[in-house]
Amino acid sequence: MLKGKNAIITGTNRGIGKALLEEFAANGANIWAHSRKETSEFNKLTQDLSVKYGVKITPVYFDLTDYNEMKNAVMRISKEKQHIDCLVNNAGIMDGALFSMTSQDMVRKEFEVNFFSVFFLTQYVTKFMLRQQSGSIVNISSYIALKGIEGKSAYSASKAALIAMTKTISNELGSKGIRANCIAPGIVNTDLLKDVSEAEIAKAKNSSALKRMAQPVEIAKVAAYLASDNSSFITGQTISVDGGM
Amino acid sequence: MTNLEKYMNVFVNSFGVKIEEVKTLKYQNIKAWDSVGHMGLVAKIEEVFDIMLETEDIIDLNSFEKGKEILSDKYGVDFSK
Repeated sequence: MLKGKNAIITGTNRGIGKALLEEFAANGANIWAHSRKETSEFNKLTQDLSVKYGVKITPVYFDLTDYNEMKNAVMRISKEKQHIDCLVNNAGIMDGALFSMTSQDMVRKEFEVNFFSVFFLTQYVTKFMLRQQSGSIVNISSYIALKGIEGKSAYSASKAALIAMTKTISNELGSKGIRANCIAPGIVNTDLLKDVSEAEIAKAKNSSALKRMAQPVEIAKVAAYLASDNSSFITGQTISVDGGM
Repeated sequence: MTNLEKYMNVFVNSFGVKIEEVKTLKYQNIKAWDSVGHMGLVAKIEEVFDIMLETEDIIDLNSFEKGKEILSDKYGVDFSK
């Protein structure tokens, strides 16, 4: 589905990002795999997947909140003179506190990582997509942006901002051959759940038709579809992958 | 081709003007240089000079001359070469 495509994916060292890395590689994409910090474990993962699927996976390390590092990383990628066919903005953080106890620092941090970094990375990458007159942007939002749950006001606002941004840029860039879509995952079995109470997890599972959590690969498969030409007439959408909430 | 010639050609190709007209060009002074035309101009400048303009500079680049100043001062483009 992605043979011959080149993708940038953020936050690929764990959780949904790790699943994205494997799913995109399994579908034939060459990947610039972002992680904040270099580790031997991550280097090995990218090498093993590269060999397993016969694709090129290049680790790219930068702090998403450091725009100089971000810009330099995109410039290095651009110097490889390859098409950038897809950008998956997956990296994110999730803090929690009741609204009245949500500090300014928490709000800023959530927006810095979950929204501003996506906004500015997408600005940089779409410069190259515009030259190509093609590209697909996939932003990982959350069901929490659509439903809101207690204790996640800053997180839900930052993820909701992604949805609005995605819709807007899909309209602005559509005529240039660039598509932009969001995925709103439900409860996904990753270590982000450590910040979600057992009661909330149970409530979310029970409120879904499928009565279970998603596995990261189930989100990754939808992202791969949106990155591919199989979704060539889909843009500006937020696809809920939430087990039927 | 010199950097100045490259820069002037970007304006000729972006807006369909004659080379002798480029030096007086300003944003929104001609029909072709609207916001959409501006993004096309920026894309071509970035491609020709292999740079990535910061958003603030994209906004400030509102004339041929201003653009020269920005590229020279901030992006190391030497227009004497």
